Amino acid sequence: MKAPLAPRARRRPLSSRDWFGKTAAAFILGFTLALGCAGLFRIAAGVGDAYFSTKGQFAMWLMAPVWALTLSFCFLFRSSLRAWLWLAAANLLVWAPVLLMGGLGS
Amino acid sequence: MKLPTDVVKMYKEVHGWVGILSGLCLFIAFYAGALTMFELPLQRWASPPPALAPAPSLDRTPELVAKAIAAHPEAAKGYEIHLRTDAAHPARMSWTVRDPEDHHGGGTTHYAALAPDGALQVVTQGPSQVAQLIDVLHQQVGLPFDHEISMPIMGGIALLYMIAIVSGLVVLLPSLVSDLFALRIGRNVKRMWLDLHNVLGLFSLPFHIIMALTAVVFAFHDQFYDAQGMAFGGGERGGRPAMAAPAEGPPPATLTPAQIVARVREQAPGFTPQTLVYGRGGGGLPALRVQGSDDRYGVRAPSYGMAGVDPQTGAITATDYMPGMQDGWSATITSFFALHFGNFGGATIRWAYFLLGLAGAFLFYTGNLLWVESRRRKERKDGAVDQTRATRILGALTVGVPLGCVAGISVTLAAAKLLGGHASYGMHSAIYYALFLLATFWALVRGAARAGVELSVLGAVAMLCVPLASLIAGADWYDAPALMLVDGVALLLALALLWSARAARHRARTGPRDSVWSDRREPSLGAPERGAGGGRSLKTAQHRAASPSRIVASRPRARSRASSSLSASFLSCASAPRSISTDRPPCCASIRT
Repeated sequence: MKAPLAPRARRRPLSSRDWFGKTAAAFILGFTLALGCAGLFRIAAGVGDAYFSTKGQFAMWLMAPVWALTLSFCFLFRSSLRAWLWLAAANLLVWAPVLLMGGLGS
Repeated sequence: MKLPTDVVKMYKEVHGWVGILSGLCLFIAFYAGALTMFELPLQRWASPPPALAPAPSLDRTPELVAKAIAAHPEAAKGYEIHLRTDAAHPARMSWTVRDPEDHHGGGTTHYAALAPDGALQVVTQGPSQVAQLIDVLHQQVGLPFDHEISMPIMGGIALLYMIAIVSGLVVLLPSLVSDLFALRIGRNVKRMWLDLHNVLGLFSLPFHIIMALTAVVFAFHDQFYDAQGMAFGGGERGGRPAMAAPAEGPPPATLTPAQIVARVREQAPGFTPQTLVYGRGGGGLPALRVQGSDDRYGVRAPSYGMAGVDPQTGAITATDYMPGMQDGWSATITSFFALHFGNFGGATIRWAYFLLGLAGAFLFYTGNLLWVESRRRKERKDGAVDQTRATRILGALTVGVPLGCVAGISVTLAAAKLLGGHASYGMHSAIYYALFLLATFWALVRGAARAGVELSVLGAVAMLCVPLASLIAGADWYDAPALMLVDGVALLLALALLWSARAARHRARTGPRDSVWSDRREPSLGAPERGAGGGRSLKTAQHRAASPSRIVASRPRARSRASSSLSASFLSCASAPRSISTDRPPCCASIRT
């Protein structure tokens, strides 16, 4: 997820002032994004029920980089609102195939 | 590489704040973590010579097991055969009786041997637990909470750490090429510490990325698994596959340990078995796990990999955690663990990780120093010379927490040899916390300048306790001559701490007065800061060739020290004497480009 790059001349300079909204978005939606990525992987790799199978463990490991990098780069969003919206869109993108392919458990 | 200035500026602020929030915790985690690279040697160093008869040969071990189970039937539920015995593994056979009230895997471990006349000996006094304490400090940095509460906090710190890595990299990128091999010692000293911070951070970047991401997983794996269980189903979390080897048919007589070892060696040449862990698998049938290492591969646990073995046939049945016999997925997962534990290249990699860990701790320390210093500069711009309470407290903590951690670990380690077998985990813990809290409190009361000197001396004395305890305990505590390296390294660290105490004293006496590191009391208003900036400001002043003569008269002998001492020279940058006439820029500003 990269921040949208507006024409440089007109944009307001980025600042760390609205850090709370951005990190909150990345903390919550970054986690669900990571979970969605793990879900995608579980479908792609056919993890199924085997929790401690090595593929299941790999799906768990996948969450750390996705979540941590979302948190690291969330400051590039132009505003808190944009952070929430863009990350929500990213979640939708990742979760839609998971839902469509029946990745959700009962 | 060109980046928009607002991005760099923003990430600089982010870097400062996440750094200051996590820096001190990360110092403890890295210092203790560097020591855990040698957890087993430390345990051997700290453990008393075994009180038991020498371990029986592997061929006589079935006799030992039979006698032990006859006398202690509870041992039949699960016991371990140690193929290699030393001070940390004092007996051929051991088993642990779990305390039903204790859910953290505690219990009493029994150690069994055969006396020369063949009689069974059983003791419950095991090896020293001080190494475990250091490991727990590494994992939880001494947070006084339960594991379940401490770990999410540590996970938060690991996330901050990752943000610090990314933001630090972004800040460095624009000047990466010009700064890459620059370590400008002796010119602008703040520049020098920034250079050092950058060089350390950049060249150990892969190590830090590994540590941050693995630490996030180690801290949050329960939450990650639970979230996946809730979202995707997958039911209950069962036991790990390698723990329960499949057992079929009625239990015939199992192979003897010697036969098991021979069978495993036959199937996995290159694998060195260390421990046979007997337990009960499904249906109460005997199950066996063989733990060991293979120099050619990283392993899943800090110091061993394992295979599930059929105790009747000796056939390897579970290879998920068996070095060299894993499939791609298992090997990938194991590589994550091995990269964190540094167990993939023998002693060389362990020493490398040890040094990287110490360098990491130092990186966080320099980060804190830079934070204090940049706050101070801002305040000078605003015209205020007195430091805020926050800066003074942070300066004090930057001294007290690391030195308290170093002193606490040293003394509690030394205490293992002085207290002998009586030292419990709780006692080691109490000794550590006493010193750590004392040092932190002392730093807050005395201020960074004086505490910096005093606590460095305390740290050096604490470090010297380690070889001293060895001298008092005597030679029979060494089960291998190589363990004297523990004393040697402690001696070196003690010298380093003494040197830093000397530098801190110099800084406190001659450094700029408005710094939290200064211990000079004479009135400062209007008076020239003689020698304040060390060589840096003196040199610059001369270079600018228009300095008031009183600045040129700064004590030149301060100069050599300034470029060689961590703290003293670090502070000299901001020492542009206030008495410099205002029609020219302060000298350090002209250099800080």
